[in-house]
Amino acid sequence: MRRTLSKADYWFLGLVAVTGLVILPCLNAFPPKESFFHVSDFKVSLYGKYLCYAVLALSVDLLWGYTGLLSLGQALFFALGGYALGMHLMLMIGERGVYKSKLPDFMVFLEFPAKYPDTAGLPAHWIPFYNFWFATGAVIWVPALLALVFGYLAFRSRIKGVYFSILTQALTYAACLMFFRNDFTFGGNNGLTDFKDILGQNLNSPATKRWLFICSVVLLLLTFLLCRWVTATKFGKIQRAIRDSENRVLFSGYATANYKLFIFVLAAVIASLGGALFVPQVGIINPSEMAPEKSLEAVVWVAVGGRGTLVGPIIGAVGINALKSYSTHSWPEYWLYILGALFVFVTVFLPKGIAGIPGQLRNLKKRMSRPTENMITAQVSTADTKT
Amino acid sequence: MGRGALQLSTTAFFRRRTVSRVKLCVTGNAVFRRNHFRSAFISFLLTAFIVARAWSAAPGADRAALVQAIIGEEGDQAELVSKLSASSDSLVGQTLEAWRVGEVFLHEASDGAKIPFLLDKQTDADGKARANRILDGEPLRDSSGKPLSFTATDLTAVDTSRSLRKVIKQTLDLMALSNPDPKFRRDAASRLGFEQNQDYVPFFESRLATEKQGDVRKALAEAIAITQLASDNADARKAAIRQLGELRSISGQNLLREISAKAQANPKTYDAETLAAARAALTAIDEYIFWGNLFGTLFRGLSLGAVLLIAALGLAITFGLMGVINMAHGEVIMVGAYAAYVTQNIFKARFGESGFGFDIYFPVALVVAFAASALLGLILERGIIRFLYARPLESLLATWGVSLILQQIFRAHFGAANVFVASPSWLRGAYSVHDVLFAYNRIFVIGFAACIVWLTYLLMTKTAVGLQIRAVMQNRNMAACMGVRTNRMNMITFAFGSGLAGLAGACLAQIGNVGPSLGQSYIVDCFMVVVLGGVGNIIGTVSASIGMGIGDQILQLHVQAVLAKVLVLAAVILFLQWRPAGLFVTRNRGLEG
Repeated sequence: MRRTLSKADYWFLGLVAVTGLVILPCLNAFPPKESFFHVSDFKVSLYGKYLCYAVLALSVDLLWGYTGLLSLGQALFFALGGYALGMHLMLMIGERGVYKSKLPDFMVFLEFPAKYPDTAGLPAHWIPFYNFWFATGAVIWVPALLALVFGYLAFRSRIKGVYFSILTQALTYAACLMFFRNDFTFGGNNGLTDFKDILGQNLNSPATKRWLFICSVVLLLLTFLLCRWVTATKFGKIQRAIRDSENRVLFSGYATANYKLFIFVLAAVIASLGGALFVPQVGIINPSEMAPEKSLEAVVWVAVGGRGTLVGPIIGAVGINALKSYSTHSWPEYWLYILGALFVFVTVFLPKGIAGIPGQLRNLKKRMSRPTENMITAQVSTADTKT
Repeated sequence: MGRGALQLSTTAFFRRRTVSRVKLCVTGNAVFRRNHFRSAFISFLLTAFIVARAWSAAPGADRAALVQAIIGEEGDQAELVSKLSASSDSLVGQTLEAWRVGEVFLHEASDGAKIPFLLDKQTDADGKARANRILDGEPLRDSSGKPLSFTATDLTAVDTSRSLRKVIKQTLDLMALSNPDPKFRRDAASRLGFEQNQDYVPFFESRLATEKQGDVRKALAEAIAITQLASDNADARKAAIRQLGELRSISGQNLLREISAKAQANPKTYDAETLAAARAALTAIDEYIFWGNLFGTLFRGLSLGAVLLIAALGLAITFGLMGVINMAHGEVIMVGAYAAYVTQNIFKARFGESGFGFDIYFPVALVVAFAASALLGLILERGIIRFLYARPLESLLATWGVSLILQQIFRAHFGAANVFVASPSWLRGAYSVHDVLFAYNRIFVIGFAACIVWLTYLLMTKTAVGLQIRAVMQNRNMAACMGVRTNRMNMITFAFGSGLAGLAGACLAQIGNVGPSLGQSYIVDCFMVVVLGGVGNIIGTVSASIGMGIGDQILQLHVQAVLAKVLVLAAVILFLQWRPAGLFVTRNRGLEG
């Protein structure tokens, strides 16, 4: 661990840990409400949401930045994690729903008791979700299983590059359509909402919100460390080799499909964990969360922040979401222009994102000082980066 | 079978003749507009007009009879009214309807003659309405020639007894059989048949003798058979059962099922022959429905496939040939659709909402849509995509950004709600063969798809530009060495692919909604079509889109639409396991394909 983490990493981790674990929770808990330093409960949940998105961005980066697999379906795994925990929270509402029934509201509304008379209206696959630990387990194994099956099929037939992107997009689109259906038993287009409490704690109380936020910070830090560890080992080296020239790795005797499969499943689980923490803080999960454009948005965070780094995606996710919250509030009609322009600008002018700006500046400076020699290297480097 | 087949073929014959006559009329009309001196067409028009007049019988006599009935003695009224049942005059129908609900009034003229009249629907400021004479529909005038107006509450309506009202109702129903609109005639025949009133049979038969429209003839024949199912005569019943089977009557199916169930339950009252006939008829009808469904499904699948093909063809060029992932492809389609909308509005403002002037907007819209989208494609290529040829995954992201911006621009300008694009009259309606509906716009889409695929094929294989495009796509450096201006070819190819997407948009505007998110609903399908077909291969794109379209429609017979779509996507993913490069592979020796 000593060698894998750089000085900058220590600084970054330290900063996140101090701000996220100490300063923000304290500012939320202690100063009086009207004080300048007070951070409202709403803000705490909002920042928690950004951090969950940052976890999603890390999973996209692990695939795209480090392995060269641009998955356009990562939000699907994020949403699956959300749904798995959401199901548990839904069952925990008990009889406090609108219909005062033991069933979740949407099941009463959609007349499930008539459809599933054997289990008093609750579809059989919902029953184990009364147990919190089962739900937590499902957050991990459901996306992992889906990623395993889909990844196995895709990598076995050597679907790569653009085709992989299009197929993952089709996957999330298909899943999104399924979840929109009422008889898919996950609440249709309203999704799951109106949660009351988690592990017996009221979800609306400031203390619960604070703890959920702290959990998000911890999750982000752990994910960061995990990604750093994975990418710094020999495994990570092969991973990057696959990104740069898969055929050479294949010819050197490595089963690249298995490497890619492992990363794909790992990224799915990471995204899913982010989704699971997202749901109690936001209070709703619905199929639009797995719509194709959500996955694309996550890719933008990574592209803007800087792929192939771990700090970049986190900055990108938090920064763009903060910008989104601000601009959808202040000038809603311009948000899509901003996002679209950001997309175009970053891909054309900043191929390495914000995290790559120092490097680009250094290059520019070098080119200024030694023009002829660098012309050649620049050409070679553009020819090399065919990702 | 023999008689039914003969009947069907004769009806088809009749219909073909009527349709062609109508068509000739229309073309004649158009030519007439252009050239006043085509006397041949004038004489033709005259003949058509005379035929139409003769066909609808003399209207004056019916009105006079109606007036007689209204002012006549109570005992004669029923008989006079029931004689009107062969009339095809709309004013007679209108008056009878009004009489039944007590809205026919009498005016006593200065010479003591009684003139029945109706009140106009429109009332003036005082709540008074014009009085229109029943005899000729002209307004009643006082001695000075000024039109008279009345208020309905001030007048007493002409009386009707209960039995008379019943007669009027019957007459109205039977009159509908001779309505000039074939749709009304067909509906009336079906409705009256289910009343199973034996008295109607002669009416049906007399109508059948003069009726020329094929589907109305079938409805009349069905009505006769269905009525005779309730006949007292056992032989007539059996004949009716057979007749229904021969007619492949879908509407008679339920009645036949009832009969077959009853015959099975009490074999004593029904003889074995009835049961056998009913069963045979039901089998025949089921078979007929099966084939009808099959062809209907295939047609719908084909038209859906054509829609996918039109939408994906542009992508097959920009993605398949050039390797540019244009996520804004859907928005280019949208631009085409809105171009059609704008053209339509301009034509609407200039020529009104219907007629010849409005109907020609569509060909113009196709040109406008192509030009607008090609221009957009040109700008996109010059502005963004040419920097990203070496980085396909990033062209995906940049073009998605463009798609967001375009969507928002159109949402801001045209509103978030869907806009309505009216089809020209020659694309509305449907053609029905053996109870299978073929909508004109769907037929058009299929033909249009075939057309643009053919044109694209010609362009790519038979022209110098096509040759250069293919050379650049296959080996850019070599083509450049041979003196092909690769930059310009990229531009042209991308603009052409975008233009095709624009055509797709104008075409989709005829069959679906046009809104800012139109592109989003096609983009995933389009990419799937291109990937499934095999990249860089037009034949592959054609087979993939038609395969996906038909597959989707066949699945929809068994599961819901959304589930069918999901299953098609899953099937495509699984199919790529078997053939990772799609249906048709362009083989080469390169490692990276």
